[in-house]
Amino acid sequence: MSLVRRPVPRRPPRLPWRPAAEATALLVAAVVAFPLYWMLLSAVKPAGEIESTEPRPWTSSPSLDSFRRVFQQHDFGRYFVNSLVVAVSVVIASALIAFLAATAVTRFRFRFRTTLLIMFLVAQMVPVEALTIPLFFLMRDLGQLNTLGSLILPHLAFSLPFAIWMLRGFVRAVPESLEEAAYLDGASRARFLWRILLPLVLPGLVATSVFSFISAWNDFLFARSFIISDTSQSTLPMALLVFYKPDEPDWGGVMAASTVMTVPVLVFFVLVQRRLVSGLGGAVKD
Amino acid sequence: MNLSVRLAAFTALAAALVTACAPRTAGTSSAGTDEKSGTLRVWLFQEVDNRPKQHVVDAVLAGFEKAHEDTEVSVEYIPVETRAQRIKAAFNDPKSAPDVIEYGNTDTAGYVRDGGLLDVTREFDAWGETKDTDPTARRSVTVDGRVYGAPYFVGVRALYYRTDIFRELGLSVPRSQAELISTARRIRAEKPGLYGLAVGGAYTYGALPFIWAHGGDLATGEEGSYASALDRPAARKGIEAYTSLFGDDNCPAATCAGMTGNDTVTAFASGKAAMAIGGDFSHAAVEAGKVRGKYAVVPLPGVEPGSIAPAFAGGNNIGVLKNTAHRTLAVDLMKRLASKRTQRDLFDAMGFLPTFTDVRRQAAATEPFVKPFVRTLAAGTEFVPASPAWARIDSSLVLPTMFQEIVSGRKDVAAASEDAARKMDDAFGSAG
Amino acid sequence: MSRAAVPSGRTSAKGRRAGWTPWFYVAPALLVLGGLLVYPVCQLGLMSVLEYTQAQVSGGEPTRFRGLANYTELFADDQFRQVLLATVGFAAACVVSTLAVGCALAVLLTRVRALPRLALMLAALGAWATPTITGSTVWLFLFDPDFGPVDRLLGLGDFSWTYGRYSAFLLVLLEVVWCSFPFVMVTVYAGIRAVPGEVLEAAALDGASQWRIWRSVLAPMLRPILVVVTVQSVIWDFKVFTQIYVMTGGGGIAGQNLVLNVYAYQKAFASSQYSLGSAIGVVMLLILLAVTLGYLRLLRRQGEEL
Repeated sequence: MSLVRRPVPRRPPRLPWRPAAEATALLVAAVVAFPLYWMLLSAVKPAGEIESTEPRPWTSSPSLDSFRRVFQQHDFGRYFVNSLVVAVSVVIASALIAFLAATAVTRFRFRFRTTLLIMFLVAQMVPVEALTIPLFFLMRDLGQLNTLGSLILPHLAFSLPFAIWMLRGFVRAVPESLEEAAYLDGASRARFLWRILLPLVLPGLVATSVFSFISAWNDFLFARSFIISDTSQSTLPMALLVFYKPDEPDWGGVMAASTVMTVPVLVFFVLVQRRLVSGLGGAVKD
Repeated sequence: MNLSVRLAAFTALAAALVTACAPRTAGTSSAGTDEKSGTLRVWLFQEVDNRPKQHVVDAVLAGFEKAHEDTEVSVEYIPVETRAQRIKAAFNDPKSAPDVIEYGNTDTAGYVRDGGLLDVTREFDAWGETKDTDPTARRSVTVDGRVYGAPYFVGVRALYYRTDIFRELGLSVPRSQAELISTARRIRAEKPGLYGLAVGGAYTYGALPFIWAHGGDLATGEEGSYASALDRPAARKGIEAYTSLFGDDNCPAATCAGMTGNDTVTAFASGKAAMAIGGDFSHAAVEAGKVRGKYAVVPLPGVEPGSIAPAFAGGNNIGVLKNTAHRTLAVDLMKRLASKRTQRDLFDAMGFLPTFTDVRRQAAATEPFVKPFVRTLAAGTEFVPASPAWARIDSSLVLPTMFQEIVSGRKDVAAASEDAARKMDDAFGSAG
Repeated sequence: MSRAAVPSGRTSAKGRRAGWTPWFYVAPALLVLGGLLVYPVCQLGLMSVLEYTQAQVSGGEPTRFRGLANYTELFADDQFRQVLLATVGFAAACVVSTLAVGCALAVLLTRVRALPRLALMLAALGAWATPTITGSTVWLFLFDPDFGPVDRLLGLGDFSWTYGRYSAFLLVLLEVVWCSFPFVMVTVYAGIRAVPGEVLEAAALDGASQWRIWRSVLAPMLRPILVVVTVQSVIWDFKVFTQIYVMTGGGGIAGQNLVLNVYAYQKAFASSQYSLGSAIGVVMLLILLAVTLGYLRLLRRQGEEL
């Protein structure tokens, strides 16, 4: 079964509703977008205007000073790359591992299959912060402290269960007849897996990767706890907090750094937007 | 689908795994060696304006590397706020740990109990310069009679006030705590945009002099058998006096309850407060602010007119980590970093008060701004309980919570101080 | 439902050549989860029954078995009970608000033409994409008493949102809803679009109101989706950490805004009471486990196959 959407009534039955509904939708969109707008605006406002008691929703003299400050202070570029390395590694590794596992639990019947599924479900709710302590000692014993590996590994573990749980729906949606046909044609199991099944569940993988990406990109607790003495291995959230000093936050810097941190995710989201919508529908609808 | 059977299987599996996990205690095994070459790692605190400090330290390191061939030193300046986590991690992972660290003197007992600091009693006593070490400073590196580092500088707080505002309003410098409070309120009444005296609910070391001035104490007893004294009448009077400064007539609770010591100094430096309790170490930051040339410093007054409130004898030390693989080198570096010469240079660069009495005297003679601080020191200082429990009391925010509960009106002084005393006693009970 | 589960009795590719292949496929996942999740979790459980502070960690003192003493200490602690209550209340408020907003907007999306739909979708994606930490700082800035636009807009003067307990929780709640409603909205919207159009049209022709259509047509059909979304929200909102940590400065004035996660973190990392922190972690784990078990039972009652 493919992920084709069913036709939606093109014409909502009661038209008088529509102007009011559309006005509401636009208003809500504006409210929802406002914090992001304010972030961008504050990032380009000149210093004097940000810390003004009469905040204005526009600026007449945009400046890139805050961005310059962000990139000059500390190795912001380097932290950006580090964050990207962590997030991308987690996304790729978790997609592959989850794909294999999801295939196993949906296309085979074996003992403990349901037990495994329950385990994956239960694993999703483990509070990450509580595990920081044992993970710290584990990373120490593995010699991974102060390396990006100490961030990749835990995030891989934390994003896997949800990824498996979500991918399950996509793998199951691929008709069994296809699999049987492939075997009748003499395809090996590996060939079926990588050449036929994988392309078919790709939309699902993309939707799944959004979640892995976000969790890895957002992390600041692990980064703060595991990167002890090698600042060249820092990631973005830590760098952001440098500007956010509780006693006197450099709001311009914080907003510029936030912008730099948000834009890649935003781009990623807009790119996968369509697949995300159909993907989520497919994943939870079984 | 028989779910309960699956669940049972899962539970059994989980149980089996739990029993398979062995208990762990961290082994710290790299100690014992004493290599005479290689790289030494040093962690020092990052100051508000760090460059002058860096110059002084760089000069020390150049001399050190010259004296010892085949050695290199890498210094990292770490932010004070995250120190607890960094140092803890360093104790836990010898591989990423430094050899020499700067640490706050309130942390001494805790670090020693955690098994992190090296006992340097022998070297300290054999070091000629230490005969001039101020006894208070010596006490700040001593636990159970053993010495765990070298004092680096003394930090003591006094009252900063705006000379221009005092002149404009025709005020005189407060001579007692009652006057201090009434002066603060008067300034606020005349100039509603300013805090009279900037105070912070999270500013423990600014609040303590009020408790001590009223004859109160944090705890009574000896090492190993402390008991909190916060809920005694004298301490309560001090708490009452400090918390009475929060409110719309001086420092509005909505903003001031959450402020830390740094916040109050920042408020003063940027011209938002007429008075603040700041340290000798805040001098550089205030000089760099808007109020440069418009302020003066006097000792914080006590209860009796003309008296000085006992100040908290803060300051930092330099210590060697127990796990260092370069014991001899690290101790030598510690001595160089905390020597008379370095302390003198640091004073010139940063205004840090030396821990050697003779060096301090010379410093006071050349720099008038030090005088109120030296006077405060001479009037007698107090210290927090020399117990490893203090690190926990400090980091679990027992005192800030108490002040914040009172100023936000959630509890009265009696209830809040009773709760705080109970929490302190819990900590003393489990940490000795 | 169109993508209903495969009947379990059918002999198929699944039934026949299983053998070791499925285990081979799940092996990497099991390895990662076993080493980085199960192992730390049992370490956590273990620490919660030991005396385990910094001194034990660095080997200064021997580790001592304390049985359930950490737990009794925890439940005797007023503050812990308060934090537990606050956590449950806060999470419940977040879940309800997120679901209400998400579902309402999902229905709204089906009622509008492409352009407003695109606008709302993009705005929601933006909120969703915003990293937690930047979301927290941005909202804090919006509500800043000195420089933020919200106080000006509402004419609140220099009202400090983080000073009062409830206003601080409200501020965090708004941020949480802002960044988590898009997931609900997009998922439910995708679900509604999968509902056959004729059903909705028929209901509308019968003169049913919007609320009634939702109540008696959509909600029952979307139930599986709603369950997933609810459970997911419960899990996420119960674990809120960054927002509270950043926005209320680590738990608010006198710890008024602490939630379990932050409290555990403070206990473990600020006060080095690793065993108490672990015990709190275990309590959280058990609560979430209960939620999951409830969810599993719900699935079973619906006759869903795992």
